[in-house]
Amino acid sequence: MQTQITELFGLLIYTEKGMFVGEVEDVVIDVDNKKMDAIVVGKVNDQLVDLKNFKGLKIPYRIISAIDDIVLIRHLPGAFSQSAPME
Amino acid sequence: MTRVFARSLSRKKIMSNDGKLIGTLKNIRVDFDSGQVVELIVHPDQTFVTEGYNMEDDKLLVIPFEAVKDIKDYIVVDRYLARK
Repeated sequence: MQTQITELFGLLIYTEKGMFVGEVEDVVIDVDNKKMDAIVVGKVNDQLVDLKNFKGLKIPYRIISAIDDIVLIRHLPGAFSQSAPME
Repeated sequence: MTRVFARSLSRKKIMSNDGKLIGTLKNIRVDFDSGQVVELIVHPDQTFVTEGYNMEDDKLLVIPFEAVKDIKDYIVVDRYLARK
């Protein structure tokens, strides 16, 4: 599906397990490979990711599984502080 | 390796590699399935002759991303590859 890149801005990002991650703030473009390299996450869900000591959160494009009304990313066990089973 | 933020590109000037000003960037078209950046959508400069280029609605210039040489202060495109 081809879309203008500004359509991406503001889309909500969820993992495949339904956890809210944040919203799309910007997109990093790799000029040499003519590809999208990562999406920059704004309004980061601070229960999921601890941004202390970090400038921000970037999600590599390869872990995105689908983009339409929302952005769906692969759920990476261990990548998020609350992704371990609660029990 | 050049990596740029998409938002930093908005309204950046497009220059061909023979030094001609083409216009300002309006948007970028991307393919979500492959992650590929497909083309640039450009507001042509008043002085620019758009003949021979791909146009959208007769107002906007479409330049394939293949033509992009580099992006720093300007977006530099190859003047042959930018044509249709």
